[in-house]
Amino acid sequence: MIEELFFIEKQAYRKSPVHDIDARAKIILCFAAIVAMVAVPYSPVVFPVGLVFFLLFAILWALSRLSPLVYGKRVLMVVPFGFFLILVQIFVQNPYYTVYTSIADLPFGIHVYRESVEFASILFVKFLVSISFIILLSSTTRVQDLLEGAGRLGLPAEFSLVLGMMVRYIFVFGYITRKVGESLAARCFSPFDRNLPYRYRLRVLAYTIGTLFIRSYEQGERTYMAMLCRGYGRESHLYIRKKPLARRDLFFLLACMPVVVCTPVIAWLSSQGLL
Amino acid sequence: MIGLHIPDSFIPLLQAAVYWVIALVFIALSLRWARAEMREEKVPLVAVLAAGIFAIQAVNVPIPWGTSGHMVGAALAAIVLGSPFAAVFVLTLVLIVQGVLFGDGGITVMGANIINMGVIGGFVGFYSYKGLNRAIRNPYPAAFVAAWLSLFVSALACAVEMAIAGTFPLGLGLFSMGLYHAVIGVIEGAITTVALYLIVTARPDILPKESGVTA
Repeated sequence: MIEELFFIEKQAYRKSPVHDIDARAKIILCFAAIVAMVAVPYSPVVFPVGLVFFLLFAILWALSRLSPLVYGKRVLMVVPFGFFLILVQIFVQNPYYTVYTSIADLPFGIHVYRESVEFASILFVKFLVSISFIILLSSTTRVQDLLEGAGRLGLPAEFSLVLGMMVRYIFVFGYITRKVGESLAARCFSPFDRNLPYRYRLRVLAYTIGTLFIRSYEQGERTYMAMLCRGYGRESHLYIRKKPLARRDLFFLLACMPVVVCTPVIAWLSSQGLL
Repeated sequence: MIGLHIPDSFIPLLQAAVYWVIALVFIALSLRWARAEMREEKVPLVAVLAAGIFAIQAVNVPIPWGTSGHMVGAALAAIVLGSPFAAVFVLTLVLIVQGVLFGDGGITVMGANIINMGVIGGFVGFYSYKGLNRAIRNPYPAAFVAAWLSLFVSALACAVEMAIAGTFPLGLGLFSMGLYHAVIGVIEGAITTVALYLIVTARPDILPKESGVTA
Protein backbone atom coordinates (compact mmCIF):
# COMPACT_ATOMS: atom_id res chain seq x y z
CA MET A 1 0.00 0.00 0.00
CA ILE A 2 2.94 2.32 0.66
CA GLU A 3 4.13 2.08 -2.96
CA GLU A 4 0.57 2.75 -4.12
CA LEU A 5 0.49 5.84 -1.90
CA PHE A 6 3.48 7.32 -3.74
CA PHE A 7 1.98 6.21 -7.06
CA ILE A 8 -1.33 7.96 -6.32
CA GLU A 9 0.37 11.16 -5.19
CA LYS A 10 2.56 11.15 -8.31
CA GLN A 11 -0.56 11.07 -10.51
CA ALA A 12 -2.11 13.88 -8.45
CA TYR A 13 0.86 16.15 -9.20
CA ARG A 14 0.26 16.08 -12.97
CA LYS A 15 -1.29 18.98 -14.85
CA SER A 16 -4.67 18.84 -16.56
CA PRO A 17 -7.97 20.73 -16.58
CA VAL A 18 -9.35 18.26 -14.02
CA HIS A 19 -6.26 18.50 -11.80
CA ASP A 20 -6.68 22.29 -11.81
CA ILE A 21 -10.26 22.20 -10.54
CA ASP A 22 -10.60 23.22 -6.88
CA ALA A 23 -10.59 20.24 -4.51
CA ARG A 24 -13.96 21.32 -3.06
CA ALA A 25 -15.69 21.00 -6.43
CA LYS A 26 -14.20 17.53 -6.96
CA ILE A 27 -15.05 16.38 -3.42
CA ILE A 28 -18.67 17.55 -3.83
CA LEU A 29 -19.03 15.87 -7.22
CA CYS A 30 -17.40 12.56 -6.28
CA PHE A 31 -19.20 12.19 -2.95
CA ALA A 32 -22.52 13.19 -4.57
CA ALA A 33 -21.98 10.61 -7.33
CA ILE A 34 -21.24 7.88 -4.78
CA VAL A 35 -24.23 8.76 -2.58
CA ALA A 36 -26.52 8.97 -5.63
CA MET A 37 -25.30 5.61 -6.92
CA VAL A 38 -25.72 3.94 -3.53
CA ALA A 39 -29.18 5.54 -3.15
CA VAL A 40 -30.49 3.89 -6.33
CA PRO A 41 -32.53 0.84 -5.24
CA TYR A 42 -31.19 -2.67 -5.95
CA SER A 43 -33.09 -2.99 -9.22
CA PRO A 44 -32.28 -2.93 -12.96
CA VAL A 45 -32.66 0.90 -12.77
CA VAL A 46 -29.02 0.78 -11.66
CA PHE A 47 -27.83 -0.15 -15.18
CA PRO A 48 -28.80 3.04 -17.09
CA VAL A 49 -27.79 5.20 -14.13
CA GLY A 50 -24.47 3.37 -13.84
CA LEU A 51 -23.86 3.78 -17.57
CA VAL A 52 -24.44 7.56 -17.47
CA PHE A 53 -22.30 7.93 -14.34
CA PHE A 54 -19.54 5.84 -15.86
CA LEU A 55 -19.63 7.94 -19.04
CA LEU A 56 -19.32 11.08 -16.91
CA PHE A 57 -16.39 9.50 -15.08
CA ALA A 58 -14.78 8.42 -18.40
CA ILE A 59 -15.04 11.97 -19.81
CA LEU A 60 -13.46 13.43 -16.67
CA TRP A 61 -10.76 10.75 -16.69
CA ALA A 62 -9.96 11.53 -20.33
CA LEU A 63 -9.80 15.25 -19.49
CA SER A 64 -7.40 14.45 -16.64
CA ARG A 65 -4.96 13.05 -19.26
CA LEU A 66 -4.25 10.06 -17.05
CA SER A 67 -3.67 6.71 -18.71
CA PRO A 68 -6.44 4.08 -18.62
CA LEU A 69 -3.70 1.79 -17.29
CA VAL A 70 -3.48 3.96 -14.17
CA TYR A 71 -7.21 3.48 -13.69
CA GLY A 72 -6.91 -0.27 -14.31
CA LYS A 73 -4.06 -0.59 -11.84
CA ARG A 74 -5.95 1.31 -9.18
CA VAL A 75 -9.13 -0.69 -9.67
CA LEU A 76 -7.16 -3.92 -9.25
CA MET A 77 -5.79 -2.60 -5.96
CA VAL A 78 -9.24 -2.36 -4.37
CA VAL A 79 -11.17 -5.07 -6.16
CA PRO A 80 -10.41 -8.36 -4.28
CA PHE A 81 -12.84 -8.20 -1.34
CA GLY A 82 -15.63 -6.49 -3.29
CA PHE A 83 -15.17 -8.91 -6.18
CA PHE A 84 -15.35 -11.91 -3.85
CA LEU A 85 -18.61 -10.60 -2.37
CA ILE A 86 -20.06 -10.01 -5.84
CA LEU A 87 -18.97 -13.40 -7.19
CA VAL A 88 -20.59 -15.29 -4.32
CA GLN A 89 -23.90 -13.54 -5.07
CA ILE A 90 -24.58 -15.63 -8.16
CA PHE A 91 -24.82 -18.81 -6.07
CA VAL A 92 -27.07 -17.51 -3.30
CA GLN A 93 -30.55 -16.08 -2.87
CA ASN A 94 -31.16 -12.68 -1.34
CA PRO A 95 -34.19 -10.85 0.09
CA TYR A 96 -34.53 -8.55 -2.94
CA TYR A 97 -36.20 -11.21 -5.11
CA THR A 98 -39.10 -13.52 -4.34
CA VAL A 99 -38.84 -15.99 -7.22
CA TYR A 100 -35.59 -17.66 -8.29
CA THR A 101 -34.91 -19.42 -11.58
CA SER A 102 -31.97 -21.79 -11.73
CA ILE A 103 -29.92 -21.41 -14.93
CA ALA A 104 -27.15 -23.85 -14.00
CA ASP A 105 -27.04 -26.75 -11.59
CA LEU A 106 -23.63 -27.53 -10.16
CA PRO A 107 -22.45 -30.42 -7.96
CA PHE A 108 -23.08 -30.35 -4.19
CA GLY A 109 -26.52 -28.82 -4.71
CA ILE A 110 -25.13 -25.47 -5.82
CA HIS A 111 -27.29 -23.51 -8.26
CA VAL A 112 -26.70 -20.39 -10.32
CA TYR A 113 -29.86 -18.28 -10.38
CA ARG A 114 -30.85 -15.78 -13.06
CA GLU A 115 -32.02 -13.30 -10.40
CA SER A 116 -28.80 -13.72 -8.42
CA VAL A 117 -26.72 -13.04 -11.53
CA GLU A 118 -28.77 -9.89 -12.07
CA PHE A 119 -28.26 -8.87 -8.44
CA ALA A 120 -24.51 -9.51 -8.70
CA SER A 121 -24.42 -7.33 -11.84
CA ILE A 122 -26.29 -4.57 -10.00
CA LEU A 123 -23.80 -4.70 -7.13
CA PHE A 124 -20.89 -4.74 -9.57
CA VAL A 125 -22.13 -1.62 -11.40
CA LYS A 126 -22.70 0.24 -8.13
CA PHE A 127 -19.31 -0.86 -6.78
CA LEU A 128 -17.43 0.02 -9.97
CA VAL A 129 -18.97 3.48 -10.28
CA SER A 130 -18.30 4.26 -6.62
CA ILE A 131 -14.65 3.29 -6.69
CA SER A 132 -14.18 4.99 -10.08
CA PHE A 133 -15.15 8.35 -8.61
CA ILE A 134 -12.90 7.84 -5.59
CA ILE A 135 -10.05 6.94 -7.94
CA LEU A 136 -10.77 10.08 -9.97
CA LEU A 137 -10.76 12.24 -6.85
CA SER A 138 -7.53 10.93 -5.37
CA SER A 139 -5.71 10.65 -8.70
CA THR A 140 -6.36 14.28 -9.62
CA THR A 141 -6.15 15.96 -6.21
CA ARG A 142 -3.08 16.26 -4.00
CA VAL A 143 -3.53 15.02 -0.45
CA GLN A 144 -2.86 18.48 1.00
CA ASP A 145 -5.42 20.04 -1.36
CA LEU A 146 -7.96 17.39 -0.38
CA LEU A 147 -7.46 18.29 3.25
CA GLU A 148 -7.74 22.03 2.65
CA GLY A 149 -10.79 21.46 0.47
CA ALA A 150 -12.44 19.37 3.19
CA GLY A 151 -11.58 22.08 5.74
CA ARG A 152 -13.15 24.76 3.56
CA LEU A 153 -16.24 22.59 3.16
CA GLY A 154 -16.71 22.53 6.91
CA LEU A 155 -14.67 19.61 8.26
CA PRO A 156 -14.25 20.50 11.98
CA ALA A 157 -10.96 22.27 12.73
CA GLU A 158 -10.02 19.58 15.27
CA PHE A 159 -10.21 16.95 12.58
CA SER A 160 -8.42 18.95 9.89
CA LEU A 161 -5.48 19.49 12.26
CA VAL A 162 -5.23 15.83 13.22
CA LEU A 163 -5.80 14.54 9.69
CA GLY A 164 -3.34 17.08 8.31
CA MET A 165 -0.64 15.86 10.67
CA MET A 166 -1.44 12.25 9.95
CA VAL A 167 -1.31 12.76 6.20
CA ARG A 168 2.03 14.58 6.45
CA TYR A 169 3.56 11.73 8.44
CA ILE A 170 2.10 9.01 6.28
CA PHE A 171 4.67 9.96 3.68
CA VAL A 172 7.45 10.02 6.30
CA PHE A 173 6.50 6.53 7.43
CA GLY A 174 6.09 5.53 3.83
CA TYR A 175 9.76 6.27 3.29
CA ILE A 176 10.70 4.55 6.56
CA THR A 177 8.72 1.42 5.61
CA ARG A 178 10.37 1.42 2.21
CA LYS A 179 13.83 1.70 3.83
CA VAL A 180 13.04 -1.10 6.28
CA GLY A 181 11.92 -3.26 3.37
CA GLU A 182 15.15 -2.49 1.49
CA SER A 183 17.23 -3.29 4.58
CA LEU A 184 15.51 -6.65 4.94
CA ALA A 185 15.95 -7.35 1.23
CA ALA A 186 19.66 -6.41 1.46
CA ARG A 187 19.96 -9.15 4.08
CA CYS A 188 18.29 -11.57 1.68
CA PHE A 189 15.13 -11.69 3.78
CA SER A 190 11.81 -11.96 2.07
CA PRO A 191 8.63 -12.57 4.07
CA PHE A 192 7.42 -14.70 1.17
CA ASP A 193 10.57 -16.88 0.96
CA ARG A 194 9.27 -20.40 1.59
CA ASN A 195 12.82 -21.65 2.26
CA LEU A 196 12.68 -19.82 5.58
CA PRO A 197 10.61 -21.22 8.44
CA TYR A 198 7.21 -19.54 8.67
CA ARG A 199 7.60 -18.76 12.39
CA TYR A 200 10.92 -17.04 11.73
CA ARG A 201 9.41 -14.89 8.96
CA LEU A 202 6.52 -13.96 11.20
CA ARG A 203 8.85 -13.04 14.07
CA VAL A 204 10.95 -10.76 11.84
CA LEU A 205 7.79 -9.06 10.54
CA ALA A 206 6.44 -8.68 14.07
CA TYR A 207 9.69 -7.00 15.17
CA THR A 208 9.47 -4.75 12.10
CA ILE A 209 5.91 -3.80 13.02
CA GLY A 210 6.87 -3.23 16.67
CA THR A 211 9.79 -1.07 15.54
CA LEU A 212 7.48 0.93 13.28
CA PHE A 213 5.13 1.44 16.22
CA ILE A 214 7.95 2.68 18.47
CA ARG A 215 9.37 4.90 15.73
CA SER A 216 5.99 6.46 15.06
CA TYR A 217 5.44 7.02 18.78
CA GLU A 218 8.87 8.63 19.12
CA GLN A 219 8.25 10.74 16.02
CA GLY A 220 4.95 11.79 17.62
CA GLU A 221 6.77 12.81 20.81
CA ARG A 222 9.35 14.83 18.85
CA THR A 223 6.65 16.50 16.72
CA TYR A 224 4.61 17.30 19.81
CA MET A 225 7.61 18.86 21.58
CA ALA A 226 8.55 20.82 18.45
CA MET A 227 4.98 22.10 18.18
CA LEU A 228 4.97 23.15 21.83
CA CYS A 229 8.20 25.10 21.19
CA ARG A 230 6.41 26.93 18.38
CA GLY A 231 3.53 27.95 20.62
CA TYR A 232 1.11 25.08 20.00
CA GLY A 233 -1.70 24.86 22.56
CA ARG A 234 -5.34 24.08 23.16
CA GLU A 235 -6.59 26.83 20.87
CA SER A 236 -4.30 25.97 17.94
CA HIS A 237 -5.84 24.94 14.68
CA LEU A 238 -4.78 24.43 11.09
CA TYR A 239 -4.98 27.74 9.23
CA ILE A 240 -6.88 27.40 5.99
CA ARG A 241 -7.02 30.53 3.86
CA LYS A 242 -10.47 31.51 2.67
CA LYS A 243 -10.77 31.08 -1.06
CA PRO A 244 -13.93 31.55 -3.13
CA LEU A 245 -14.63 29.06 -5.89
CA ALA A 246 -13.37 30.28 -9.26
CA ARG A 247 -15.71 30.63 -12.24
CA ARG A 248 -14.13 27.48 -13.76
CA ASP A 249 -14.95 25.44 -10.63
CA LEU A 250 -18.52 26.68 -10.60
CA PHE A 251 -18.88 25.82 -14.27
CA PHE A 252 -17.51 22.32 -13.52
CA LEU A 253 -20.11 21.82 -10.80
CA LEU A 254 -22.91 23.31 -12.90
CA ALA A 255 -22.03 20.97 -15.77
CA CYS A 256 -21.67 17.78 -13.72
CA MET A 257 -24.02 18.02 -10.76
CA PRO A 258 -27.28 18.05 -12.77
CA VAL A 259 -26.18 14.74 -14.34
CA VAL A 260 -25.50 13.24 -10.92
CA VAL A 261 -28.76 14.49 -9.40
CA CYS A 262 -31.17 14.13 -12.32
CA THR A 263 -30.09 10.80 -13.82
CA PRO A 264 -31.18 8.59 -10.89
CA VAL A 265 -34.42 10.57 -10.48
CA ILE A 266 -35.32 10.31 -14.18
CA ALA A 267 -34.39 6.62 -14.32
CA TRP A 268 -36.47 5.85 -11.24
CA LEU A 269 -39.49 7.83 -12.48
CA SER A 270 -39.25 6.02 -15.84
CA SER A 271 -39.10 2.64 -14.13
CA GLN A 272 -42.26 3.54 -12.19
CA GLY A 273 -44.00 4.54 -15.43
CA LEU A 274 -44.29 8.15 -14.27
CA LEU A 275 -42.41 9.60 -17.24
CA MET B 1 -6.26 -8.55 7.51
CA ILE B 2 -8.03 -8.45 4.18
CA GLY B 3 -11.76 -8.76 3.97
CA LEU B 4 -13.02 -6.31 6.54
CA HIS B 5 -13.32 -3.12 4.51
CA ILE B 6 -16.95 -3.11 3.31
CA PRO B 7 -17.12 -1.33 -0.06
CA ASP B 8 -19.76 1.21 -1.09
CA SER B 9 -23.10 -0.18 -2.31
CA PHE B 10 -23.03 -3.28 -0.09
CA ILE B 11 -25.11 -1.53 2.56
CA PRO B 12 -28.21 0.52 1.58
CA LEU B 13 -27.96 4.25 2.22
CA LEU B 14 -30.38 4.38 5.15
CA GLN B 15 -28.63 1.59 7.05
CA ALA B 16 -25.25 3.12 6.24
CA ALA B 17 -26.50 6.40 7.75
CA VAL B 18 -27.44 4.58 10.98
CA TYR B 19 -23.92 3.10 11.20
CA TRP B 20 -22.48 6.57 10.57
CA VAL B 21 -24.50 8.01 13.47
CA ILE B 22 -23.29 5.25 15.83
CA ALA B 23 -19.71 5.71 14.61
CA LEU B 24 -19.93 9.49 15.12
CA VAL B 25 -20.96 8.94 18.75
CA PHE B 26 -17.85 6.84 19.31
CA ILE B 27 -15.67 9.30 17.40
CA ALA B 28 -16.95 12.11 19.65
CA LEU B 29 -16.25 9.95 22.73
CA SER B 30 -12.76 9.17 21.46
CA LEU B 31 -12.08 12.89 20.96
CA ARG B 32 -13.26 13.45 24.52
CA TRP B 33 -10.91 10.67 25.67
CA ALA B 34 -8.05 12.32 23.76
CA ARG B 35 -8.75 15.64 25.49
CA ALA B 36 -9.22 14.18 28.96
CA GLU B 37 -6.68 11.39 29.09
CA MET B 38 -3.98 12.56 26.74
CA ARG B 39 -4.72 16.26 27.19
CA GLU B 40 -5.75 18.09 24.07
CA GLU B 41 -2.22 19.27 23.34
CA LYS B 42 -1.06 15.68 23.01
CA VAL B 43 -3.50 14.94 20.21
CA PRO B 44 -0.74 15.49 17.59
CA LEU B 45 1.09 12.54 19.11
CA VAL B 46 -1.85 10.26 18.39
CA ALA B 47 -2.14 11.73 14.88
CA VAL B 48 1.47 10.81 14.12
CA LEU B 49 0.90 7.42 15.71
CA ALA B 50 -2.08 6.94 13.37
CA ALA B 51 0.28 7.49 10.44
CA GLY B 52 2.49 4.78 11.94
CA ILE B 53 -0.47 2.38 12.23
CA PHE B 54 -1.26 3.15 8.58
CA ALA B 55 2.31 2.13 7.67
CA ILE B 56 1.99 -0.99 9.85
CA GLN B 57 -1.20 -1.94 7.99
CA ALA B 58 0.75 -1.58 4.76
CA VAL B 59 3.27 -4.26 5.72
CA ASN B 60 2.40 -7.40 3.77
CA VAL B 61 2.26 -10.48 5.96
CA PRO B 62 2.47 -13.91 4.29
CA ILE B 63 -0.48 -16.21 4.89
CA PRO B 64 0.37 -19.93 4.90
CA TRP B 65 -1.79 -20.88 1.89
CA GLY B 66 0.03 -18.48 -0.41
CA THR B 67 -1.72 -15.11 -0.27
CA SER B 68 -0.86 -12.08 1.82
CA GLY B 69 -2.72 -9.94 4.31
CA HIS B 70 -2.08 -7.10 6.68
CA MET B 71 -2.67 -6.28 10.32
CA VAL B 72 -5.61 -4.24 11.57
CA GLY B 73 -3.77 -3.24 14.74
CA ALA B 74 -6.83 -2.14 16.76
CA ALA B 75 -5.94 -4.37 19.71
CA LEU B 76 -2.29 -3.29 19.60
CA ALA B 77 -3.22 0.41 19.61
CA ALA B 78 -5.76 -0.06 22.43
CA ILE B 79 -3.37 -2.11 24.59
CA VAL B 80 -0.33 0.12 24.10
CA LEU B 81 -2.27 3.37 24.55
CA GLY B 82 -4.32 1.95 27.41
CA SER B 83 -7.82 2.68 26.13
CA PRO B 84 -10.27 1.28 23.58
CA PHE B 85 -10.97 4.86 22.52
CA ALA B 86 -7.37 5.09 21.33
CA ALA B 87 -8.19 2.38 18.78
CA VAL B 88 -11.37 4.21 17.73
CA PHE B 89 -9.44 7.45 17.28
CA VAL B 90 -6.52 5.93 15.41
CA LEU B 91 -8.57 3.55 13.24
CA THR B 92 -11.00 6.34 12.28
CA LEU B 93 -8.12 8.39 10.91
CA VAL B 94 -6.64 5.39 9.12
CA LEU B 95 -10.01 4.39 7.59
CA ILE B 96 -10.69 7.94 6.36
CA VAL B 97 -7.35 7.99 4.55
CA GLN B 98 -7.80 4.46 3.19
CA GLY B 99 -11.34 5.19 2.01
CA VAL B 100 -10.71 8.56 0.40
CA LEU B 101 -7.26 7.92 -1.08
CA PHE B 102 -7.36 4.26 -1.97
CA GLY B 103 -11.04 3.42 -2.20
CA ASP B 104 -10.28 0.67 0.33
CA GLY B 105 -13.61 0.65 2.17
CA GLY B 106 -16.43 2.87 0.98
CA ILE B 107 -17.46 6.42 1.83
CA THR B 108 -21.12 5.76 2.67
CA VAL B 109 -20.19 2.62 4.62
CA MET B 110 -17.26 4.18 6.45
CA GLY B 111 -19.38 4.38 9.60
CA ALA B 112 -19.86 0.60 9.51
CA ASN B 113 -16.15 0.06 8.89
CA ILE B 114 -15.24 2.33 11.82
CA ILE B 115 -17.64 0.37 14.04
CA ASN B 116 -16.20 -2.98 12.93
CA MET B 117 -12.50 -2.25 13.06
CA GLY B 118 -12.23 0.72 15.42
CA VAL B 119 -15.06 0.29 17.92
CA ILE B 120 -15.51 -3.49 18.03
CA GLY B 121 -11.84 -4.21 17.34
CA GLY B 122 -10.71 -1.73 19.97
CA PHE B 123 -13.23 -2.58 22.69
CA VAL B 124 -13.06 -6.35 22.27
CA GLY B 125 -9.26 -6.19 22.03
CA PHE B 126 -8.81 -3.97 25.06
CA TYR B 127 -11.29 -5.52 27.48
CA SER B 128 -10.52 -9.13 26.61
CA TYR B 129 -6.82 -8.31 27.10
CA LYS B 130 -7.53 -6.63 30.42
CA GLY B 131 -9.71 -9.46 31.69
CA LEU B 132 -7.34 -12.21 30.60
CA ASN B 133 -4.26 -10.41 31.88
CA ARG B 134 -5.92 -10.02 35.28
CA ALA B 135 -6.85 -13.71 35.28
CA ILE B 136 -3.61 -15.28 34.09
CA ARG B 137 -1.17 -12.47 34.99
CA ASN B 138 0.75 -12.85 31.76
CA PRO B 139 0.31 -10.05 29.21
CA TYR B 140 1.58 -11.96 26.18
CA PRO B 141 -0.93 -14.81 25.91
CA ALA B 142 -3.58 -12.23 26.90
CA ALA B 143 -2.51 -9.95 24.02
CA PHE B 144 -2.51 -12.91 21.62
CA VAL B 145 -6.06 -13.98 22.49
CA ALA B 146 -7.28 -10.35 22.58
CA ALA B 147 -5.91 -9.57 19.12
CA TRP B 148 -7.36 -12.82 17.73
CA LEU B 149 -10.72 -12.14 19.32
CA SER B 150 -10.82 -8.51 18.16
CA LEU B 151 -10.34 -9.58 14.54
CA PHE B 152 -12.72 -12.53 14.78
CA VAL B 153 -15.58 -10.56 16.35
CA SER B 154 -15.04 -7.68 13.87
CA ALA B 155 -15.38 -10.16 11.00
CA LEU B 156 -18.59 -11.59 12.48
CA ALA B 157 -19.98 -8.06 12.87
CA CYS B 158 -19.12 -7.36 9.25
CA ALA B 159 -20.99 -10.51 8.18
CA VAL B 160 -24.04 -9.58 10.29
CA GLU B 161 -24.15 -6.04 8.84
CA MET B 162 -24.09 -7.37 5.29
CA ALA B 163 -26.76 -9.93 6.15
CA ILE B 164 -28.97 -7.14 7.51
CA ALA B 165 -28.29 -5.25 4.28
CA GLY B 166 -29.39 -8.33 2.34
CA THR B 167 -26.17 -8.42 0.32
CA PHE B 168 -24.68 -11.57 1.84
CA PRO B 169 -26.43 -14.55 3.47
CA LEU B 170 -25.97 -14.69 7.24
CA GLY B 171 -25.00 -18.34 7.51
CA LEU B 172 -22.49 -18.27 4.70
CA GLY B 173 -21.13 -14.90 5.84
CA LEU B 174 -20.63 -16.03 9.43
CA PHE B 175 -19.07 -19.30 8.28
CA SER B 176 -16.75 -17.99 5.55
CA MET B 177 -15.69 -14.75 7.20
CA GLY B 178 -15.59 -16.32 10.64
CA LEU B 179 -13.48 -19.26 9.49
CA TYR B 180 -11.12 -17.13 7.38
CA HIS B 181 -10.56 -14.59 10.14
CA ALA B 182 -10.30 -17.25 12.83
CA VAL B 183 -7.25 -18.56 10.95
CA ILE B 184 -5.88 -15.15 9.99
CA GLY B 185 -6.49 -13.92 13.55
CA VAL B 186 -3.76 -16.28 14.75
CA ILE B 187 -1.26 -14.25 12.70
CA GLU B 188 -2.70 -10.96 14.00
CA GLY B 189 -2.40 -12.36 17.53
CA ALA B 190 1.19 -13.56 17.02
CA ILE B 191 2.33 -10.25 15.55
CA THR B 192 0.56 -8.23 18.27
CA THR B 193 2.23 -10.34 20.96
CA VAL B 194 5.74 -10.06 19.54
CA ALA B 195 5.29 -6.33 18.81
CA LEU B 196 4.08 -5.81 22.40
CA TYR B 197 7.10 -7.73 23.69
CA LEU B 198 9.39 -5.51 21.62
CA ILE B 199 7.72 -2.32 22.91
CA VAL B 200 7.95 -3.58 26.51
CA THR B 201 11.64 -4.33 26.03
CA ALA B 202 12.61 -1.18 24.14
CA ARG B 203 10.27 1.52 25.50
CA PRO B 204 8.45 0.32 28.62
CA ASP B 205 7.89 3.97 29.64
CA ILE B 206 5.37 4.55 26.84
CA LEU B 207 3.02 1.88 28.17
CA PRO B 208 0.37 3.28 30.51
CA LYS B 209 -0.64 1.64 33.80
CA GLU B 210 -3.86 0.38 32.18
CA SER B 211 -1.86 -1.89 29.86
CA GLY B 212 -0.82 -3.93 32.90
CA VAL B 213 2.65 -4.66 31.52
CA THR B 214 5.95 -4.23 33.29
CA ALA B 215 9.38 -4.59 31.72
